[in-house]
Amino acid sequence: MHLSDGVLPTVVAVGSFAASGLCVAVSIKKTDGEELPKIAVMTSAFFVASLIHVPLGPTSVHLLLPGLVGILTGWSAFLSIFLGLVLQSFLFQFGGLTALGANGLMMGLPAWFAAWLFRRIGARGATGAVVVAAAASAAAVALAALILAALLATGGEDFFGVAKIAVAAHVPVLVVEGVISAFVVSFLLKVKPELLQHPAGRPSP
Amino acid sequence: MSVTVVPWWAAAVAVTAATAAVASLWLFGGSGKRGKGDAEVSSDSDADTSVPELDVVGSSSSFFHRWDPRCKILSLVFFSFMAVSLNHGFELGVGLAVAAGSLVVAGTPLRAAVRRLSAMSGFLLILLVIMPLTVPFHEGDRRIVLEGVPFLSFNARGFVLAGRICAKAVIVAVLMEPLLKTAPFSVTMAAVQRLGVPVLLCQMILLMYRYVFVFRHEMQRMWVGMTVRGFRSRSGWQTLGHLGCFLGMLFVRSMERTQRVYEAMLCRGYTGVFPSTVRFCATPRDWAWSALWVGAALGLFALDRWQGAVARLLGF
Repeated sequence: MHLSDGVLPTVVAVGSFAASGLCVAVSIKKTDGEELPKIAVMTSAFFVASLIHVPLGPTSVHLLLPGLVGILTGWSAFLSIFLGLVLQSFLFQFGGLTALGANGLMMGLPAWFAAWLFRRIGARGATGAVVVAAAASAAAVALAALILAALLATGGEDFFGVAKIAVAAHVPVLVVEGVISAFVVSFLLKVKPELLQHPAGRPSP
Repeated sequence: MSVTVVPWWAAAVAVTAATAAVASLWLFGGSGKRGKGDAEVSSDSDADTSVPELDVVGSSSSFFHRWDPRCKILSLVFFSFMAVSLNHGFELGVGLAVAAGSLVVAGTPLRAAVRRLSAMSGFLLILLVIMPLTVPFHEGDRRIVLEGVPFLSFNARGFVLAGRICAKAVIVAVLMEPLLKTAPFSVTMAAVQRLGVPVLLCQMILLMYRYVFVFRHEMQRMWVGMTVRGFRSRSGWQTLGHLGCFLGMLFVRSMERTQRVYEAMLCRGYTGVFPSTVRFCATPRDWAWSALWVGAALGLFALDRWQGAVARLLGF
């Protein structure tokens, strides 16, 4: 779920812009300068992938992908996700212009978390990598939901109810995201394992 | 605490009206989405999401088209931030009027604006339902109870809060049309860059914007291939597995393309910066308009914050 304009207090919106800017700066710093155009083109692929609707019972959910972006791009993930959100807001109005900073934090920090988790305990045998990828993606969505709830809660007591329901709404998304990530990672392990070994944004040795 | 009992037929009328409004938003915004030719495949395809273009629409030369893009972006973004800080109905109404007026002046297609609104409608509708149910009751809040449904009580303040959020979201969404659709996207990004956003980010957004269309095309071709081979998107493990492979394939293909694109860029002498032929020249007129917008935004904000004081000053 992307926040629209006007939900957050303006101070929080501006503050999260500053925080997001800082994270983007860190992300650029940690990315090899020559890789930046590649990250941009890859972000388009993630953007397009997030347009797919996954059927779920009577409705469908669209993929958030913080976990997979983190696993595939490592430190560059925040930059990638932030730019993806900018374009999403420009093109579709998914997420408001003034809420871009907040939405960036909400998706970007979980992506870093998933990247860290995957590097940390992943890549011990194929099955292990798949399980860790699923867990990391699910955890990333859970973290995104918690950040969303925290941001909503800055609006005061009136927003607590919405925050709780927003977290609950992320539970099915979390499951779908974890399962899809497991399938994607097991596919990549068979077809192009080097994508998982060196995340993009760092020169391959 | 005052309690208002709403008869069930009034509630039914309200719900029907809201449903009809959202349905018409969806229909009007979405009907131009798909060409007649590919309706056969698209009707079943969840991968079909057309991507709107950010470019000058038509050949209109409105005020927004002639305004210096830097001044335009600065003014409209500032106005948006001020608009989301408003708290009172009257000021939000003025903001809505300004946004609607800008849309009319810019002359961008109404359908695009409607699509923006329908993209947000789900989120906003959920807020409109949840907030009245969950906002805690304070002293002086009006409790609204449906006739015959005593266990559900709506807080009128929740409706007001959610309505305020809807108004803000609509103002900014509508302003995005004159902001983005009255200059070619490359000019808009060049202007954003002159305003101090790092050149690196602007170039990445331009590249992304270009390749989103390429990858969407690729994805659609793959999707048609899957559909032809009998894949149907349903709930269940199988679909998830197939979608996982689909995404994996999309990633592999796009990473390979990424590498080729980058090498082609290097061959053509890419050194980290795209050459730009965009020249900006802001006249005093442009600055005056910007000053007017910023002044109006600040005025609206001041009026919103010190409404009581202003009223007293004017002798109400």
